[in-house]
Amino acid sequence: MPGNIRSVSFVVLVCLLFCSRLTSVGATPICTNAHAGCHVLSLSNLFDRVIQHSARMHGISNDLHSEFEQYFLPSRNQIGRVSRNCHTSTILTPNGKENAQKMAREELTEVILKLLVAWRDPLWHFHHSMAHYDDFNNFSSNKALEMSDMVHELRKGVEKVAEKMQVLGITSNTVNSLTSPEALLPSESAEWRLMKDYDLLYCFRRDSNKVQNYLKILKCRIVPEHGC
Amino acid sequence: MTVPCCICTVLLQYVFNSLSCVVKHVYVLGLVCDLCCSQRWRRAGRAKINDTFSCLFMVAPNPVTLSWMRNWPPTREGGCGGLVMRTPVEPHITECISRNQETFRCWWSPGSFHNLSSPGALRVFYLKKVLPTSEWIECPEYIYSNRECFFDVNHTSIWVPYCLQLRSQNHTYFNEDDCFTVENIVRPDPPVSSNWTLLEISPSGLSYDVMVNWEPPPSADVEMGWMRIEYEIQYRERNTTNWEALEIQPHTQQTIYGLHIGEEYEVHIRCRMQAFTKFGEFSDSIFIQVTEIPSKESTFPLTLVLLFGIVGILIIIMLIVVSQQHRLTLILLPPVPAPKIKGIDPELLKKGKLDELNFILSGGGMGGLPTYSQDYYEGEPWVEFIEIVAEDADTGEKDNQGSDTQRLLSQGISHHMNISFPDDDSGRASCYNPDLPDQDTLMLMATLLPGQPEDREASFNVVERAPAPERGERPLVQTQTGGPQTWVNTDFYAQVSNVMPSGGVVLSPGQQLRVQESTLATEEKTQKKEKKHKWSEDTEDNKQKELQFQLLVVDPEGSGYTTESNAWRISPPPSSPMPGEGYQPIHPQPVETKPAATAEDNQSPYILPDSPQSQFFAPVADYTVVQEVDSQHSLLLNPPPCQSPPPCLPEHPLKAIPAMPVGYITPELLGNLSP
Repeated sequence: MPGNIRSVSFVVLVCLLFCSRLTSVGATPICTNAHAGCHVLSLSNLFDRVIQHSARMHGISNDLHSEFEQYFLPSRNQIGRVSRNCHTSTILTPNGKENAQKMAREELTEVILKLLVAWRDPLWHFHHSMAHYDDFNNFSSNKALEMSDMVHELRKGVEKVAEKMQVLGITSNTVNSLTSPEALLPSESAEWRLMKDYDLLYCFRRDSNKVQNYLKILKCRIVPEHGC
Repeated sequence: MTVPCCICTVLLQYVFNSLSCVVKHVYVLGLVCDLCCSQRWRRAGRAKINDTFSCLFMVAPNPVTLSWMRNWPPTREGGCGGLVMRTPVEPHITECISRNQETFRCWWSPGSFHNLSSPGALRVFYLKKVLPTSEWIECPEYIYSNRECFFDVNHTSIWVPYCLQLRSQNHTYFNEDDCFTVENIVRPDPPVSSNWTLLEISPSGLSYDVMVNWEPPPSADVEMGWMRIEYEIQYRERNTTNWEALEIQPHTQQTIYGLHIGEEYEVHIRCRMQAFTKFGEFSDSIFIQVTEIPSKESTFPLTLVLLFGIVGILIIIMLIVVSQQHRLTLILLPPVPAPKIKGIDPELLKKGKLDELNFILSGGGMGGLPTYSQDYYEGEPWVEFIEIVAEDADTGEKDNQGSDTQRLLSQGISHHMNISFPDDDSGRASCYNPDLPDQDTLMLMATLLPGQPEDREASFNVVERAPAPERGERPLVQTQTGGPQTWVNTDFYAQVSNVMPSGGVVLSPGQQLRVQESTLATEEKTQKKEKKHKWSEDTEDNKQKELQFQLLVVDPEGSGYTTESNAWRISPPPSSPMPGEGYQPIHPQPVETKPAATAEDNQSPYILPDSPQSQFFAPVADYTVVQEVDSQHSLLLNPPPCQSPPPCLPEHPLKAIPAMPVGYITPELLGNLSP
C-alpha cells in the first residue's frame, strides 16, 4: 500500500509538472516580435488553431441555417434567387480546389480576410435582430452571438497568421493593406441590410465553408504535410 | 376529370389488395398505351411519384379492363385496380451527386415522353450563376447509356449555384428546384478496407468489445482537408432487420461494445461531409463473430475441480457422521442413565415379563445374576441392597397367585434372595447408610412390582411418607387387591434400640427426626389423601394401605410400640385399623403382642412441634450393631458410632437418614437368634 501511494504521488507530481508546462504553453500570449521570454508558436500550430476555429464557425452557421429552414420553411429552392443577393458575392473567391491552389498565398489570405471582415457587422446586427423572433429559443440566439464573436476572433487569428507569414518571409508585404477593412468594402456596407435573415444565414453558411476550405488549402501549401 | 387514353401511360403499377385496394407494391413498367383512362375509372387516391403528383384510379367493373389488369405483370394479390398518371411526367433531372467535391454527375429521365428516350433527343444545359449575366451551356460530357451528364473538374465550381435544364427539339424543361450548389450535393463514397479487432472479452465470457478500423474513401481528399468526413457505423445481428447506429464521429475507428459471444454481427459504415446532411452509400458489410475461446476452458476445469472437491469433502463428512453416529451421539448427547439392574435386560423390567425376571433374579439360567458382592457394586451408587425377611414357605404359597408382588416377594423369600450387606463403612459417609431402604430403594421396589397404577402410587405414597415419620421403620410393602390380608409382611429395616431381656429386640426410631418430620408427614398425608381420592377406585384398599402403613414407634424407655395410635394419626379415621394385621416386628421371640398391647397406652412418640407432650428423648441410635449373641440369647450391641443426630441429618427432611450402625442383622444371625 505505501508503495502504491508513493508511485501515485510520483505520477501526480510528474503530471503536474507537465501540465503546468502545457498550460504555460497555452497561457503564453503569441509574441508578434519574438520578444525574449515569449513562447513562440509555430506556424503550423497557428494554422491548426485557426482551422479549428473556422470549422466550428461553419458548424454553428449550419445549425442556425437548418433551424431557420425548419421554422420558416422558405420555398423549396431559392438558390438561384439567393445567391445573387449575397453581399459577398462581389468578392472574388476561388471556386474550386485547383483554383484555390493556384492562387497566390497572399491573395488567398486576403480573400479570407475580406470575407471575415465583410461578415462582422451583418452578423452583429443579425444577432440583435434575433430578438424579434419569438419562435427562436435562446439557444439559437446564443448561437448567433457566438457566431458573430467567432467571426471576430477568426479574423484576428487569420491576421496573426498573416503577420507570422510575413515575418517568416513566406508572404510579401501586400497583406498589410487589409488593416482598414472599412475602406475595402464601402459599397457593400449597405447591401446587407437589405438581406433577409434567411438569406443572410444561407450566405454566411456558404462563406464560412469557403473560409474553412481556403484555410486548409493555405496551410497545406505553406506548412507542407503528408498528403498535401 | 377525364384523361385521354392515348396520353395516359401506365408508368407504375400499383398492386392492390383485393379487399381494400391499398397500394402494396410498385412496379416500374414500360409504356402501355392501351389502357384507357376514361372516367370509368374511379379515383382512389393521390400519390406522389417522383415528385410529381399523380392520381390513382381504381378499375371500374369493366370486364375488359379488369381482364387486362389481371393479365398485366403478375399481381401478387389479384389487384383490383391500376394506376393511371393524371399528368404526364416531363423529362426531368433525376439526381445530381458529387463524390469528391471536385466533380459531379447528373442523371436525367425522359419521364413519360418515351419518344425522347433516344440519345440526343434531350439535351442537358446548365447554368452557372457566377456572373449576373450567364448563359446556358450544354453538358460537357454525356454518358448516354446512363442518361448521365458528367461535370469534370474544369467545369465544376464549388459554392456556385448550378441550374440544369433539359431541352428537346422544341421544348425546354426546366425546374427551379433543380438548382443547387455542389457542396450541398456531396455524398462521399463509402469507406474502404474496414476490419475489426477483438479488444477484450468480459469476465463473464458472454460479451466482448470490438474495434473497427477503416480507411476514408480514396476519392475524398481527406489528407489535405478539402473534405472533412464524419462516419457512421451501423451493426446488427446476422438475421435481424434493425440496424444499430452508433454516434457519428470523424475518426476512422470506432469501438463497438457489448457484442455477444457466439453471435454473428454485420457491420457497415457510411460517411458524409461535416456540417452537411447527405450521406453516402454504405460500405460493404463485414462480419464479426467470436466464439468461445480456449483460454476460457482453462479456468473452467479449475472451477469444476473446486466444485467436485467441495462436494467430495461434504460427502466424506456425511459418511463420518453417519458411521460414527453412535459415538457422536454419545459425545454430544450423553445418555441419561436409566434404572436398571445389572445383569437384567431392561426389557424384562417392562410389564408382563415377571416370570423371566423372577427366573433371572432367582439366579437360574444363563442370565443369572452374579454374586452380589459389595465389590461388584462398588461403583454404582444406585445399587441398594435389599434385605428380604425369610418368610415361611406356607405363607408364600398361600399367596394369591394373581399378585405379582406376592409372587415376587414370596419367591424371593423362599429363594432367600441373597443380597449381601455391606459390612464395612468404607467409602461412605459415616452418617450415610445406603443400606437403609431409603426412598430410592423403595421406589425401586415399587417399580419392580408391576401392578395397578393406584397401587403403585399408593406404594409411592407410602414410600414417600416412610422416611418422614420415622426413621427406623419402613412401611410395609403393600399387596394388590385382595380380600384377605395376604400382604407379605416384610419389613426391610428395623432399628434395634434395645434388646429385651426376653430376647426380643426393641426397635425405635430416631426421635429428633420424628419431631421435624411429623409435620411434614401430616402435610403429606393430606396431600396423599387428596390424591388417593382422585384416582382410587378401591378406596378400601387405599385405606387399608394407609392403615397398613404402620409406623412402628418405639419408646426407648419402654413405652413399647404405638403402632396403632400412629396409624390413626396418619391414616383417615373412618376406617378402623386392624391392629392385628399391623406391623409385625421382626423378632425371633414371640413377643409380638406385647408391643401392640402397650401401643395404646403409650403416648405417641409422634411429637408434634407444639405438643406439650413432646418428649425429647435422648438421641438414640436407630441401628445398633449386634456383635454377638451370648449364650442367653441376648444381643450384644455396640454403641452407635454417631452420637449427635443433627450432623447426621441430611438436608432433605424426607430423606433424613439417622445415625445408624454399620451393620445390621443378617439372616444367619437371625437364625442364630432363634431358639
